[in-house]
This record gives sequence, structure tokens and C-alpha cells, in this order.
Amino acid sequence: MSPVAQCLIAFVFGSVVGLLVQRSRFCNTAALRDAMLFKTFRNTKALLVAMMILTIGFTGFISVGAGNPMRFDVGINQVLGLFLFGTGMVLAGACTVSTWVKAGEGNFGAIWALLFTFIGMFLFSLVWSFLYWPPAPSAMTGELSLERLQLGFANAETLQDKTGIPAIIFGLLQAGVLLFIYQRIRKRERGQGGDAAASP
Amino acid sequence: MEFFRKTLDPVIALGAIAVLDIFLFLIVGAWTVGGGETMMTGLIAQLFMGDAIYRIPFWQEVFKPDAGYWKIYISLGMLFGAVVGAVASKEFFWRFPRRISEWVMITVGGLLMGIGIRLAFVCNVSTFFGLTPELNLGGYLSISGIIAGAWFGSLIYKRVLEG
Repeated sequence: MSPVAQCLIAFVFGSVVGLLVQRSRFCNTAALRDAMLFKTFRNTKALLVAMMILTIGFTGFISVGAGNPMRFDVGINQVLGLFLFGTGMVLAGACTVSTWVKAGEGNFGAIWALLFTFIGMFLFSLVWSFLYWPPAPSAMTGELSLERLQLGFANAETLQDKTGIPAIIFGLLQAGVLLFIYQRIRKRERGQGGDAAASP
Repeated sequence: MEFFRKTLDPVIALGAIAVLDIFLFLIVGAWTVGGGETMMTGLIAQLFMGDAIYRIPFWQEVFKPDAGYWKIYISLGMLFGAVVGAVASKEFFWRFPRRISEWVMITVGGLLMGIGIRLAFVCNVSTFFGLTPELNLGGYLSISGIIAGAWFGSLIYKRVLEG
């Protein structure tokens, strides 16, 4: 597929996502923050449903060798990086999606957060240029490397290759765990009564 | 039009996005935002610095600025879709943070998000809508990090709210 076609598909996808997120007021930050601080789960339930659909869809297609899964080494940098990101998104009141969506609604705070996200990325690019860590894609080996704090690479594809069990089986197991969490939330809401219990 | 008058149930919205994300996964790759934002950072830096940006190894070895990088257009599309939704539903208006504490939290929060994305090589979108559904080990590592971070951020947020 040509790069222009890829960019066009990405733009159409993004436009639909922006519209749906704007109309639904979904926020990934709220999905985590509200569940922790206020014990409300409007966004958390939506996140879980999306993850269930995606898990079954992705692993189903991976089982038959289709799709484009992400391939790169992972390690301690994912835990540290997303810890910083999680702290930052709660402080900023928006994640990567809601900064764009709120910016589109005229929220200057979101535009400001976006600007400083770019500045943070640029600052880290300077730090990386001294440390050369985490490893650049060209330096990734796919193997465990304790000195580089890297665990290598593993996903549904490698699970299927190593065990001979179709990836969809592991996908269904994960979807089952997500469904269990979703049902626990619904049960809790029913116990609390009110509007929350009436929503899906 | 009813769609622009009522708030859409987020479960329906995210369900629809998930189905579209599966198609995107089949065509180019799963939904992600951090990569596109990094490329935009590189392109903006290139505007100011010119070819001097290539003296910074990161922009040579990890993200070589390229305006044809498809992930950039997901973010631009989200902005466009949100503008359309906000204007059509008469919800577009300029809003500014009022208190100094809000400006400080947004500034620090934005910086932490940018640093975090680049340190992890992933953002929240690729964590929840890409890596974890692909059963990628990185997804589980990222989820543990983001939950711990959101909890820590909530403690700070609560303290600021309580004044």
C-alpha cells in the first residue's frame, strides 16, 4: 500500500475516533482516575469492552497469520515510562486522545498540555542521545538482556509458535478475565443503585 | 440531528472504535498516538533547527523526521473529528484554565507524558488498544506502570483539589 493511502486511511480512522470520543465524552484518564478516586466506572467499562473486542479480534487474526502486530523489545522502561505518563495524564487531566479531542473543542489547557508533551519528548530525545537507552529499534535483539534491562519480545504470535496452541485460545482467556472485571464493576454498581446501574 | 444533541454512550462509542481498530490492524497496524506525536515533535524541531536536528542522534537513529509517517494523520484526524463534533453540537468554545495551580499541573503533566511516552516507546493508546490485546508482554508491563502512575497522580490531584 502506498504511503499516501496509509496516511489517508489513518486520517479517516482518526476523524471517526475524534468524533466518537467527542460525542461520548470518553476519557482514558477518567477511566483510571475516576475508578480510583471517585469509584465511578462510566469510562472504565467502555475501556474494558473495547479491550475485550480487540483481544478477540487481534488474536483471531493473528491465529491465521493476518494483521500487523507491533514488534519491539520491552523491558523496565515500559513500567517507568508509563508510570511517568500515568502521573502526568492525571495532573494534566487528559491523555493522548483527550488532549487532541479537547483541543478540538477549544480547550486551551489541552493545547497547552499538548505543547508540553512535545517539549517533554524533545527533552527526552536529548537525554536519549547521551544514554542510548532504551535501545533503538536497530539495536533490539528480541532476547533477554539483563544489562540493558530488556526482557526481549513476546506476544500472541510467539505464544502460538512456541506452544502450538492457536493465539485465539489465549485471547479468549484474556477476554474472559476482562469480562470478569467488567461484571464485578456492574455488580458493584447494582449494589450502589442509582443511574450508574441503569447504564450498560 | 439526534447524534449531535445527545451524549453518546461511551460503551457504544468505544465498541465501534474497537471494530475500526481491528480493520486498521489488518491494513497498517493498531491505533497509536505517541509515535505520531513524536514524529510531529521532530518535524517541528526541524522547522526551527533545520538540518542541525540530525546532530542529535535520537532524530537520526530512532525517529528520522518524515511527514509521510501515517501515525501523524491519526492525531490530525482526531483533532478534525473533534472540531466537527464540537461545532455541529454547538459545544465549541474557548476555555482557559483559571487558577495558577491548574496551569502548573497541566504544564508538569504534559512534560511527564512526553518524557514517559519516549522512555516507554508506547503511550496509553498503544497500551490499551494495541499491545495488550495483542498479548504483548510490553502491554502488561505498561498497564502496571500506568495504573501505579495514575494512582500516584490521583494522590497529588486529590491534595491539590483539597487545597
